[in-house]
Amino acid sequence: MAAHEDQDASDLELVRRIKRGDEQGFREMVDRYNARVYSLAYGVLRNSEDAEEATQDAFLTLYRKIDTFDESKKFFSWFYRVALNAAYSRARRRKPGVTVSLDDYVPRLRDDVLAAVAELAAFGDGADDEAIARDLAERAEAFIDELPPTYRDAIWMVDVEEMKPADVAEVLEISLAALKSRLHRARLYVRQRLLEVSVATPGPSERRVAP
Amino acid sequence: MSCKRLILEYLVDYEDGSMPETERAAFERHLGHCPPCVVFLKSYRATGKTLRMLKPRDIPKNLADAVVGFVRARCAKKE
Repeated sequence: MAAHEDQDASDLELVRRIKRGDEQGFREMVDRYNARVYSLAYGVLRNSEDAEEATQDAFLTLYRKIDTFDESKKFFSWFYRVALNAAYSRARRRKPGVTVSLDDYVPRLRDDVLAAVAELAAFGDGADDEAIARDLAERAEAFIDELPPTYRDAIWMVDVEEMKPADVAEVLEISLAALKSRLHRARLYVRQRLLEVSVATPGPSERRVAP
Repeated sequence: MSCKRLILEYLVDYEDGSMPETERAAFERHLGHCPPCVVFLKSYRATGKTLRMLKPRDIPKNLADAVVGFVRARCAKKE
């Protein structure tokens, strides 16, 4: 908690320096946030070139609009929203991908579906195996891409970026309960899709993912 | 607590530690006699573990320099 507050205070100090036109302050802000912004943009765009350009766009907006930042708020929440907007602005210029309806998946959680014990156990164990886990991670990236954006943002920030749910709710300007609901449904969807591609064989180390 | 309610309504709070103690006890009692839910929990955790592997590790070299150069160039054009 204290570290979080120190970070907020340190961010605010940099914000004030940038507002005064301190170029070195801007440089320090870029050093502090560029990797996190890139990673966040990558979550939306799934392409390194686009993520890099979105990162540049985000910092350009920061530089130009820093005077509009309300210092009573947390800087990172404001800036992550700027970064998300930059990424989505770039995403809109591309051909839209295909997203799914999560309702197609959640109703499959009837009690009787839980009877697929062997398959589920195989997957649970498989993720402890490094090679299997890497195969599955590649699949998971594609499955995240299928999610509606609001769900994709939630799962990317919490489960991939490992941000605190309360912080993510603040960035997305939704309640913590709403964030957790999106997160959970997104996880259930990805889990279900991973199950569909996982193939059980006698031992975890011999199992591979279906092509 | 039914399997469906456990998974759809309670699992996320159980996993992030925000579930009240009485509900947590009921949740764990259910797990104690429901192997399918234990397996479901295992696969849910395995999903989270898999997702953590996706964090981009290859941040472009000189990204910070590229950002600063881009911002300077764009702002110089405006001035």
